[in-house]
Amino acid sequence: MNKVITINLGGTAYQLEEGGFDALRAYLDTAAARLQGNPDRDEIISDIEQAIGEKFRALLNSYKTVVTAKEVSAVLADMGPIEAEPGATAGAAATGTGTGSAAPESGATHQPGGRPKRLYRVYEGAMISGVCNGIGAYANIDPTLVRLAFVVLTIFWGAGIAVYFAMAIIVPSARSPEEKAAASGAARFTAQEFIRRARAGYYDAMKSFPDRHARREWKRRFKQEMRGWRTAFRQEASQGAASFRPHWPPPWTPGAHPGLGVALPLFSLLHGTLTIIWLCALISLLATGALFGLPLPSGIPVWVGLILLMFVFGFFAWPLKMARRAVYYHGFGGPGWTWPFIFVVDALVWLAFAAVLIWLARHYLPQAREAVHHLPAVFHEAADNVRDWWNKK
Amino acid sequence: MSLDEKFFAIKKGLLEFLVLKIVAGEKVYVADILRQLSETEFSTQEGTLYPLLSKMRREGLVDYEWKESDAGPPRKYYELTAKGREHLRETLDYWGKISGTVKNLGQK
Repeated sequence: MNKVITINLGGTAYQLEEGGFDALRAYLDTAAARLQGNPDRDEIISDIEQAIGEKFRALLNSYKTVVTAKEVSAVLADMGPIEAEPGATAGAAATGTGTGSAAPESGATHQPGGRPKRLYRVYEGAMISGVCNGIGAYANIDPTLVRLAFVVLTIFWGAGIAVYFAMAIIVPSARSPEEKAAASGAARFTAQEFIRRARAGYYDAMKSFPDRHARREWKRRFKQEMRGWRTAFRQEASQGAASFRPHWPPPWTPGAHPGLGVALPLFSLLHGTLTIIWLCALISLLATGALFGLPLPSGIPVWVGLILLMFVFGFFAWPLKMARRAVYYHGFGGPGWTWPFIFVVDALVWLAFAAVLIWLARHYLPQAREAVHHLPAVFHEAADNVRDWWNKK
Repeated sequence: MSLDEKFFAIKKGLLEFLVLKIVAGEKVYVADILRQLSETEFSTQEGTLYPLLSKMRREGLVDYEWKESDAGPPRKYYELTAKGREHLRETLDYWGKISGTVKNLGQK
């Protein structure tokens, strides 16, 4: 007995065995990744979906309504791998992330493919104000993971909250259908989008909130909890700083020590490197259930591994962070600067360093570029793993 | 290394030329193009053809129109534009020159 999943290809519903569904999703994900930067990406993908649908239809009749996993792989093998155009690949590499921005002549006509993506807040299925949802739609990542990232950011750097609220204020929300389409860059409701939403438990979540009261109550409790966390972490941070302060020489006049200029970038660089290693470890653990190919000892579930990983990172990063805080504190004249402000500056600096490191790696290491390419697929996989684990519990 | 492998890149490069020729004959949709190619050494798959056609459309060589089909949803039927016809003529000329060169070189 096999589970059957219903999907929408070019406006027609098809029932696939679960294994076949996974294969199809992987195929479409790869296709989307290969066509990254192609102004007609959405159109090509919808053409391909329709071609797949036609092949499925040929396999079905009134007595046979489900496409088996085997048949799906046969159809996909028949379709062949999606080839990026020889001319377009160079252009895509050069323009990098500028998806859809380079469609001057095709955008002028009737064609819907090269619609530019914009970052919006998306209320549908949002938890608080749709920031994470919007980022998820923009980067084609599961919003659950974006939320997780914000929570982790908040726990370790506190700046998560600040960044979140800043974005909630600055980023416009998608109201009209056009804006909603632009939020995910999707001109049409493709099978991929359908799959993404179905997987994100979007419809389930709506079912579990039967009335507005329950939803509002849940939201209120969530916000309250976040507030509680924030104060707790702030207290902890100020205690940490208080215990650190006596060991640091008494305040100089602003910017007095010549060593500060060297120490700060060094600390930031170390912190950024550490963060990237930790992120890689996190992704590898989430995606494969093993740490860089090293399986966890039997009896330790993935979520315990995750928490352990966070503690290990916190253990190494804490002194670095405190040292940098102290540098800011003394380098910029100390007492005038209150804690929340330092949080933000601190977070921005190490984020910038991490971004530079990632950019360098992407630029000079082919493996890193490959990894970035596969990232969306890895994230999807990771989201599935987390959800499977959650459902099992 | 078989001849097939040796000519892989050349065949790939010629595909656009051949698709132009096929589309010039009559209005066709993708399955027709694949069928016509499948009988030749240039047999290919949807995964290659769709991106190629979209590029050719973007360059203004071909255009398509939707046509109802008797089975299933409407299909895209491709045809040559004036620019595409001009490009095909130039390519045919050039191809004639190349094949003439291949034939005559080294012969006395």
